[in-house]
Amino acid sequence: MTHLELENLASEYLEGQLDVVRRVQVEEHLRDCGACRELISDLQHAMELCQAAEDLEPAPWLIAKIMRATVGERKPTLREQLATFFRPATQPRLAYAVAMAIFSFSIIVNAAGLNLRKLTLADLNPRTWFYQANRTGHLLYARVEKFYYDLRVVYEIESRLRQLRSEPSKQEQEAPKPEAPPGGTTDRKAPGDTQLASVQGLMTTAASSIGAVTRMVAKGRSPSP
Amino acid sequence: MDHDPELVKRCLAGDNSAWEDLLQNHTRKIYSLCYRFTGRRSEAEDLTQEVFIKIFQTLKTFDAAQGAFPTWLARVARNHLVDHYRRTKKDRVTSSLEDELGSLEEKPSPTVEPVAQVESREHKELLQQALDRLSPDLREAVILRDLQDLDYDEIAQVLGVPEGTVKSRINRGRLELARVIKRMEGMRGPAKAGGRS
Repeated sequence: MTHLELENLASEYLEGQLDVVRRVQVEEHLRDCGACRELISDLQHAMELCQAAEDLEPAPWLIAKIMRATVGERKPTLREQLATFFRPATQPRLAYAVAMAIFSFSIIVNAAGLNLRKLTLADLNPRTWFYQANRTGHLLYARVEKFYYDLRVVYEIESRLRQLRSEPSKQEQEAPKPEAPPGGTTDRKAPGDTQLASVQGLMTTAASSIGAVTRMVAKGRSPSP
Repeated sequence: MDHDPELVKRCLAGDNSAWEDLLQNHTRKIYSLCYRFTGRRSEAEDLTQEVFIKIFQTLKTFDAAQGAFPTWLARVARNHLVDHYRRTKKDRVTSSLEDELGSLEEKPSPTVEPVAQVESREHKELLQQALDRLSPDLREAVILRDLQDLDYDEIAQVLGVPEGTVKSRINRGRLELARVIKRMEGMRGPAKAGGRS
């Protein structure tokens, strides 16, 4: 047996897998060949090192990580996807947002004067929206102004003020200026007393008017002048 | 191990606990295989995860009639490791052993003396460095035979080569490994080299 033949049979010899004839040939060669004995010894040492090596212990989190990467990240079912999609709908925040959106939309539609039941192509033009909003704004202002001037109390106050303004000029025009006696007194009422009485009457009328307006507003009617 | 086909069936039926059982049974083996191939702990962990993801995706292709589950698992792992080896060939420094001696995660035996423990660690480091110096073909044959304890026919199934080729590779691998170990022990010093039985 040559060195090369022994080298080729070395593993099988050490594992006891050679038949008797081959094994005897190997052993005869080993008896006479120191180099091959050393080779077999080295080989045996290497195999012992391998067999002594235990399995390595993986990090404790590795199995959990693999589970997450496989089962944990599986594709969700259609039902789960739908549940995820509609989950925000159950939150109160969405209800607030929707309510605010509807409120804002209704304000815009009202300001633009759009009739949603009879929507035309022209209604979709922003220029029309601006025109309608401007018109609605002016109409609203005019209506408020009219309401204000139609109020009985305002009417009364204004008329009294007009009266107050006109009284001194009438008195000056109608009554001749008496010559004041030197050092004497007059029994005529002072203009300040007349004005005080007028303002007191005005205050009484205003109070009654406010009461009347409050009652009318409560009944939902517009006040008449 | 005998329960593997049943666990596979349950896995395919959507039983996650069965998949976890399979992982518990085989992760250690696959991790060791990956570590012996790469010599790096972090790389071995990544590879182990990739192997099991592949296993999970191709579990329905497992046929118990064609071989045992561990053999199929080892074949998938080996193919993945070979792919990985080819992919990272340019980046790899063959002689590197990234992790420190103490990072080898073998379970320490509580009864082992500290001196014997250090010696054991040195032997494991020596073995890993020697394995790293083998060519991939020889390394995988030696690992599957001497570290994973697979039979010749199982190794032939895993590697997809005839049994004669397997025997030849294992023998050449062991001889090469023995030469490398002897050289390394000689470089470390006669005292340590002389310590072997």
